[in-house]
Amino acid sequence: MTVSARAATARSHEENLIKPLTAFRPKLFVGSLISGGVMALLFYSWGYQIFNDIGVAGINRPVFWGFYITNFVFWIGISHAGTLISAILRVTQAEWRRPITRCAEAITTFALMIGGLFPLIHLGRPWIFWYMVPIPTYRGIWPNFRSPLMWDIMAITTYLTGSLLYLYLPLIPDMAILRDRALKETPKTLRAFFFRIMAIGWRGTPQQWHSLEAGIKAMAVIIIPVAVSVHTIVSWDFAMAIQPMWHSTIFGPYFVVGAIYSGVAVLMVAMYLLRKGLGIGEYLSDKVFNNLGLLFLAFALLWGYFTFAEHLTVWYGNEHIERLVFNERIFGKYSGFFWTMMVTNVLIPLAILPFPKGRKPLGTAIVGLAVLVGMWIERYLIVVGTLSYTRLDYTVGTYAPSWTEMGIFVGSIGMFLFLYFVFVQTTPIVSIWEVREGHHLEVKAQRQALAASREEP
Amino acid sequence: MSKRTHAAFVSPYDVREALERLEQDGFSTGDVEIRSSAPLDHDVFPERHAVHSRMPWMALTGAALGGLGLFSLVAWSSSVYPLPTGGMPIVAIPTTGVITFEGIAIGAILCTVATVLYECGLPGLWSAGTGPLDHHLADDHVLVSVTCDEGASTEWAAKALETARE
Amino acid sequence: MTRWGMVIDTDRCTGCAACMVACHAENNIQTVGEVEAGKGRAMHWIRIERYYEGEFPDIKVRFQPVMCQQCGHAPCEPVCPVYATYHTPEGLNAMVYARCIGTRYCANNCPYTVRFFNWFSPDFPQPLERQLNPDVSVRSAGIMEKCTFCVQRIQGAQDVAKDEDREVRDGEIRTACSQSCPAEAIVFGDLDDPESRVSEFAEQARATRLLEELSTEPSVIYMRGGR
Repeated sequence: MTVSARAATARSHEENLIKPLTAFRPKLFVGSLISGGVMALLFYSWGYQIFNDIGVAGINRPVFWGFYITNFVFWIGISHAGTLISAILRVTQAEWRRPITRCAEAITTFALMIGGLFPLIHLGRPWIFWYMVPIPTYRGIWPNFRSPLMWDIMAITTYLTGSLLYLYLPLIPDMAILRDRALKETPKTLRAFFFRIMAIGWRGTPQQWHSLEAGIKAMAVIIIPVAVSVHTIVSWDFAMAIQPMWHSTIFGPYFVVGAIYSGVAVLMVAMYLLRKGLGIGEYLSDKVFNNLGLLFLAFALLWGYFTFAEHLTVWYGNEHIERLVFNERIFGKYSGFFWTMMVTNVLIPLAILPFPKGRKPLGTAIVGLAVLVGMWIERYLIVVGTLSYTRLDYTVGTYAPSWTEMGIFVGSIGMFLFLYFVFVQTTPIVSIWEVREGHHLEVKAQRQALAASREEP
Repeated sequence: MSKRTHAAFVSPYDVREALERLEQDGFSTGDVEIRSSAPLDHDVFPERHAVHSRMPWMALTGAALGGLGLFSLVAWSSSVYPLPTGGMPIVAIPTTGVITFEGIAIGAILCTVATVLYECGLPGLWSAGTGPLDHHLADDHVLVSVTCDEGASTEWAAKALETARE
Repeated sequence: MTRWGMVIDTDRCTGCAACMVACHAENNIQTVGEVEAGKGRAMHWIRIERYYEGEFPDIKVRFQPVMCQQCGHAPCEPVCPVYATYHTPEGLNAMVYARCIGTRYCANNCPYTVRFFNWFSPDFPQPLERQLNPDVSVRSAGIMEKCTFCVQRIQGAQDVAKDEDREVRDGEIRTACSQSCPAEAIVFGDLDDPESRVSEFAEQARATRLLEELSTEPSVIYMRGGR
């Protein structure tokens, strides 16, 4: 293909990305409406809980944490999809990253927003959550930085700030492209104004490009340890407590692996839906699915290994209280959950992902859904499975979620979809300039090859 | 009377040729503005268009400030209202370390973004997008703009897709 | 220095539950009703655990009253993000209701499961609100609470002693549970005072502590083994 013909195809592909932003798409509109409605369930249920007190949830003594903390860990886990993966791929300069960084980073940002809501929902008195924020007030007392919950607040604030900025920095030049188009084609529309604000006056001079790329590179390096620290700290909420099968040194890395695993799962499902719904198969190509599928497989194996290591040590150690929780999980009350999780998180991925035919969009999306179910169960088992059993046998309890808790859970899924629908309709879901840069690099490589072949006799 | 001439190029390699001609005509780099919708390879520009960034150093400075800031906040706020819990020291180093780490990270992140914005001269909300050829940027063309005297040569723009003047 | 402690003689305990009733009355603890109690939300700062030994009919019942153990190294304290629970210089595990935001982390981390959460605001129908103890605050929904070793009685006695310019005498402070125990199984006093009754008990061979292997250093000492 000649250079100019190539450029023409590239332009027509870009049109597919820009269309959802400039034209009315009924499917996207209906999708946003429905998911918005489901999201309303979250706020209705939360409001109901605030007005009727926390007791409307199913939590009790000794299961003081239930659905809310499960969902908190679940959503924070999902947030490890984007920023971490896109940062790792950027740092390693993997060329196939270009089409997926944006949609992955958006998952991170939205999942974090939702995950960050859950600790607030779960509070007994959410209206004074700011007691946990280190600001000088009339109270004269500061938060207790020895509490893992304070580490959580610090880590999630840092990660959310970082992910938002890391999503926004590479978005500026794309917004400038959209602005330049809109000001020519449809000036004086709200859309043009929006793009103009979002592009904050980006010109695209060599100096700007250089600074931006240096900034993105630095952010990628910073965000990787932050992401690792976030889920490590979430795991420490459990590991710092002296409860059976919580108080474990393996929890930090185990949770990080589980988080990335569930994050890749969401990314797979999201990419499949984007490819189907927006018709952008040229960007989210089979090659991308194949490569991510391999990463997915690696994390399936890692997760399986960690799960085995964790349970083996507990079983072998054979301490009375740990053994109690262990037995209920593997053979007893929670065994149904546990073995479902093993099927969805180990068996299904290992049956599909090792084969090239399985690493096609549909195959990876199916595995993604299965893993999501499994990872949710894992967190439920950790939270409820441990808390149901206490060291003094007299206080053993049980837990069943209430309608409020279920409504908030379902609503949080709706909120994620809603935010994503809005995002797809306001920003190009594939980074236009990064793909262009990839084309430029290819052209350059071709020219060099051509020049080299001419020099030869 | 000075004017501003803009030219849109399809190929970055034509841009290089144009820049070399401008240099021969005696234009300083300050008069020439190159704009593109994707980062251009550095071998497109002559040496004089060199770019610079204070980036990794500014990130490190931010990291140092953030870490120090949060460590001091924790150490100070724990000591002004000392409340013993669980037999731990008032300023427990292991727990403070976790917070300090997050301080390092957030300091580096904020400083990085501030540096990028400063070096790019952003935000300058209304300063771009309204030039006569700006829409060419959306089509992945490269724009070269020169401030020059009325009647100066526009020969450099000969290979351009489109040329305009203000 | 004072370090408040309690001795519970399980060999004396008859399981009559007078201590539970006294505690409810003294500390304005809400009664939640059977529906909520069925969900595991009953609130008793002190509870009597029953353990059965042997097979019917040759069966023996042992009672073990359990309340907050006022640990020296309390697992519940450091995990609170807002200092709602902390360690007082007198060795008490203080609970500051006004600071509590209800993360319930402390209750999760308590190996004795003796922390209680107000799932709903308490309801004291007329004329029950007249029997509320004016020295103790009534806790609203969303707040954690637990045994305080009747801190209002400790402070009352300390005030009196200060007015009379003397030290608090051993046996002068009696917690509600100890006061109401017909078998005199519960003794309260200063563990740092070698002359006090609790110190005498603590040195006996029958003295043991609950879940000692967790090194939480409880201030409640259980006497068991004698017959």
